[in-house]
Amino acid sequence: MLGYIGRRILATIPVMAVVGLFVFSLLYFAPGDPAAIIAGDQATPDDVARIRATLGLDRPFLVRFWEWSWQILHGDLGTSIFTNLPVTTMIGQRVQPTVSLMLVTLVFAIVVAVPLGVVAAWKAGSLIDRLVMGLAVMGFSVPVFVVGYVLAYVFALELGWLPVQGYTPIEQGFWPWLSNLILPAVTLGLVYIALIARVTRATMLDVLQQDYVRTARAKGLSQGPVLFIHALKNAAVPIVTVIGIGIALLIGGAVVTETVFAIPGLGRLTVDAILRRDYPVIQGVVLLFSFVYVLVNLAIDLSYTLLDPRIRY
Amino acid sequence: MTATAAPYPDSARPTGLPPAEAAPKAPPPPGLAVAAALPDVIPVRKRRGKIWTYVRRNPTIVVGGVLLLIVFLMAVLAPWLGTVDPTALAPAKRTRVPSAQYWFGTDMLGRDVYSRVVYGARVSLLVGFSVAFLASIAGLAVGLVSGMVRWLDGIVMRVVDGMMSIPPILLAVALMALTRGSVQNVIVAITIAEIPRVARLVRGVVLSLREQPYVEAAVTTGTRMPAIIWRHILPNTLAPMTVQATYICASAMITEAILSFIGAGVPPSTPSWGNIMAEGRALWQVKFYIILFPAIFLSMTVLAVNLVGDGLRDALDPRMAKDV
Amino acid sequence: MDRRTFLKGSAALGLAAPQIARPALAQGAKVLRFVPQANLANFDPIWGTQYVVRNAGTLVWDMLYGVDAQLKPQRQMVESEEVSGDKLTWTFRLRPGLKWHDGEPVLAKDVVASLTRWMARDPIGLMIRGIQDDLTATDDKTVQWRLKKPFPKLLYALGKTNAPMALMMPERIAKTDPFTQITEYVGSGPMKFVRNEWVPGARAVFETFTDYKPRDEPNSWLAGGKRMLVDRVEWVIMPDPATASAALQNGEVDWWENPISDLVPLLRKNSNLNVDIADPLGNVGSFRMNHLHPPFDNPKIRQAVMTAMSQEDYMRAIVGDDDSLWKKLPGFFTPGTPLYSEAGGDNVGKGDIKLGQKLLKEAGYKGEPVVCIVAQDQGITKAQGDITADLLKQMGFNVDFVATDWGTTGTRRASKAPPSQGGWNMFHTWHAGADCINPAGYPAVRASGDKAWFGWPNIPPVETAIAEWFDAADPAAEKAAIDKVNAAACEGVVYVPTGFFLGYQAWRKNVSGIVKGPIPFTWGVSKA
Repeated sequence: MLGYIGRRILATIPVMAVVGLFVFSLLYFAPGDPAAIIAGDQATPDDVARIRATLGLDRPFLVRFWEWSWQILHGDLGTSIFTNLPVTTMIGQRVQPTVSLMLVTLVFAIVVAVPLGVVAAWKAGSLIDRLVMGLAVMGFSVPVFVVGYVLAYVFALELGWLPVQGYTPIEQGFWPWLSNLILPAVTLGLVYIALIARVTRATMLDVLQQDYVRTARAKGLSQGPVLFIHALKNAAVPIVTVIGIGIALLIGGAVVTETVFAIPGLGRLTVDAILRRDYPVIQGVVLLFSFVYVLVNLAIDLSYTLLDPRIRY
Repeated sequence: MTATAAPYPDSARPTGLPPAEAAPKAPPPPGLAVAAALPDVIPVRKRRGKIWTYVRRNPTIVVGGVLLLIVFLMAVLAPWLGTVDPTALAPAKRTRVPSAQYWFGTDMLGRDVYSRVVYGARVSLLVGFSVAFLASIAGLAVGLVSGMVRWLDGIVMRVVDGMMSIPPILLAVALMALTRGSVQNVIVAITIAEIPRVARLVRGVVLSLREQPYVEAAVTTGTRMPAIIWRHILPNTLAPMTVQATYICASAMITEAILSFIGAGVPPSTPSWGNIMAEGRALWQVKFYIILFPAIFLSMTVLAVNLVGDGLRDALDPRMAKDV
Repeated sequence: MDRRTFLKGSAALGLAAPQIARPALAQGAKVLRFVPQANLANFDPIWGTQYVVRNAGTLVWDMLYGVDAQLKPQRQMVESEEVSGDKLTWTFRLRPGLKWHDGEPVLAKDVVASLTRWMARDPIGLMIRGIQDDLTATDDKTVQWRLKKPFPKLLYALGKTNAPMALMMPERIAKTDPFTQITEYVGSGPMKFVRNEWVPGARAVFETFTDYKPRDEPNSWLAGGKRMLVDRVEWVIMPDPATASAALQNGEVDWWENPISDLVPLLRKNSNLNVDIADPLGNVGSFRMNHLHPPFDNPKIRQAVMTAMSQEDYMRAIVGDDDSLWKKLPGFFTPGTPLYSEAGGDNVGKGDIKLGQKLLKEAGYKGEPVVCIVAQDQGITKAQGDITADLLKQMGFNVDFVATDWGTTGTRRASKAPPSQGGWNMFHTWHAGADCINPAGYPAVRASGDKAWFGWPNIPPVETAIAEWFDAADPAAEKAAIDKVNAAACEGVVYVPTGFFLGYQAWRKNVSGIVKGPIPFTWGVSKA
């Protein structure tokens, strides 16, 4: 088991190296140039050239890649060209909002979607099933920002139940923190709910045909324990897989949600950095995302051993 | 136990075939008058019924297909659907609410939203289908290579894993930032972001097929690799790839909208549902119709594609229902 | 590993949430939440000349002089000044009791270092440096500046609102190379920058500096006493104007620097909000043509475009339906200012496509492609770009519309290469009216060829007239010189002004003391 973990972690290194090379090359060949943006509207071409030299942007590719890789391996993600702050600081400031948003979205999505999927499978073919599946398909057909605007308008502006935008750190109180995250989590979670509900239903359908379910019913267990304990446990593996895959989707959707609800998170940081050509920030954040994605997948693979004792590494 | 091959019992015969032939009719004995055949009392089942049964059995694929066809026709017939030039500016008539003259109102530069939405269907459909097609072809190639050529598998899969660990939206935005906004660049950017998933899928199929006895047999008998791929591997990848392609199409259309929202999408000189919404987003509280109409059409189209995908999946292989 | 051990382990991991520091606010502390026009990404107002950096800079740093609402420089950090009879030596005495945010007193050597750094980046500063003999601190509170030639506009240069402003910093910070960002944000202005609460792209926080000694006079723009009536100012950066509008209506922010004009009727209807013009000096929209390459190296073709365009179209695209927000601008200087001129501007923006087509043919346009760069992520450039594309197509140009972002525009416009090799023929931008009052600090109107702004217009009559303005001794001579500049600039088409437009600002009714001006002045603003 430990050997498996060790091997998996080692295997992440080439993946991360590929990501690093890819991201670095991408930005190296990009035509936009931070020197010009920094120099500002009133700058002369001389100023721009001088700033470019100061930033070291005119040295060859391999030199810059080598220096950068060396830095990363020492835990130094570099310094932002625009703000002069260390990239780790900039990321650190924005981790809490994004992680909070993801967590609340995840919990919300799982709590809503899994029961929906189970009920749909249980009543397969009925009106409830069709309704749930219909709503699920609609869930990932509507663009995220439209949902966000509608929710913000109805619940924040018109009804005034929740704030329109912003983020409150959890240190300032649980309810303030949560109230800022409810609308964004629902917005972001709709797609996720749709996905999880569908997979839950499909897997449950399969499981409910199995002999052991019939046995449990024959034993006299009522529907609740049958569904949720016996059947769901066995359906857990694909569901957990989908949750893992969905995290990559969440990060993408978070960019839009963070913009609509003005949450100071990593998604916005990355997009702003890309549009401004703030190379160190882009590289640092993409590396971080990849690392997190790889870790999440590892955690999911490990969780299989908990969920399904037949799986052993 | 006789060695003769007895005919199969009836229960094992596949349904749908006509009942076993009765003994051939002997000619009637001379002198016996044979009445003309009576008309059938029970009429033959009409062809119309077969279609209705199909619809009833596969509502998802039919509904999706019909919706998609409507949108497709709208895109093709755009110039004849009461539209004007979607790029014609009229700043003096900006942000007018929907009226008899401007069915969906005008946007911030006075362009007719209805025309832009109708023409926008072209771009969204083009982006969706192109990405689905290109990503499938490229993913197929990569997956095949990775699955069949063992020593390349490790390297290729590392690269694919690497690309997959970058969130697709960010990858697309970064690629768009390399070049200027245009429909082609949007297509290429989204395609690149979608290839890894197809490659993984194809590789999975290839790997599982590689172990099958009939493939091993084909290799042993000396069948060349291209023939093996063509005859054995490809047909088995078609079903999951087709289903995956429809999901990619739906996802590409939404990604195009999100790219436009971020500001890295198709430029407004070519209307697309994404950029109509992006341009109107600041005004959603006062002039919501600029976002509403493209949103409705986009949702409808993506829904249709998803339904077609679901229907295909159910029809082609119910076992795939588990894997989405 | 069994299930229990695994679960125990994962509970121990927890979430290591980095502390986003928030001080315990004192009871009744007044916080003003402000939505700025853009993100505050860096914070060196000498190094970065973006408007948002300058605006933030005025909170943290103070100046020797500051212009008032009539654009006349008034004393700020200076107690008295003397100029020698031959006008070559200036002596400034600092006010007593000025302190930096870290408690140190403000000394003359800090002023000398700050002025030196400022002069390296500011266009007028460079001119002064060119005629400078000596700049020294004769004692702790006195600065002496000796020039080789008289420079009547010195006080104006020290007090102007255009970036980079002559802000005073401690010597150790001011000694930073002018092309490197400063890392310490210590000033002597009325507010302190709370560095550890700064989240670039999301929030910037300022706290009132209790040891600040405002002047006695009432405040008027950068002049007079800068009295802070709130304890904290939080800049909340909103990437989405719709969100900002909703937040303002909901009371989650107090003051929005630049609401888009389409949202203004909605904000006006809200009984909790006030909406008014932000800056009477407004903005000048522009697009610039590349004078180095065909087809715009031909002055007649440039004039054809300038004549055919309709300023009304451009202005409506930018500000919407409110006619009180824009004016035609047949020239290059800000309306409502003493030097405004319409000389030679008859041919600007006639809105006549047919005439334009005719002029284009007469000028001998051979169908060369026009590479038109349009940044999609800035509302103003995007709107102008759409109008231009339409205009050029109707005139018969062969248009290559390049939709890109502001960052790429910034790079590409610096390239003098031919358009087909990474250069350009046309790009869009705009200038604050405060920057277009006179040729000082207005690089966009210069026509000195290689040394000019992007587009590199080379029109000697413009430069001669500008030199005349610099040497002008009295207002009448200045006006005459500017008229000549205007006429020559129209004739040679230094750039094409697309019109003069105003913007709004909006604030909640419980906030008072907000004035109109080129900078959102936070002193004198209170919150009920």
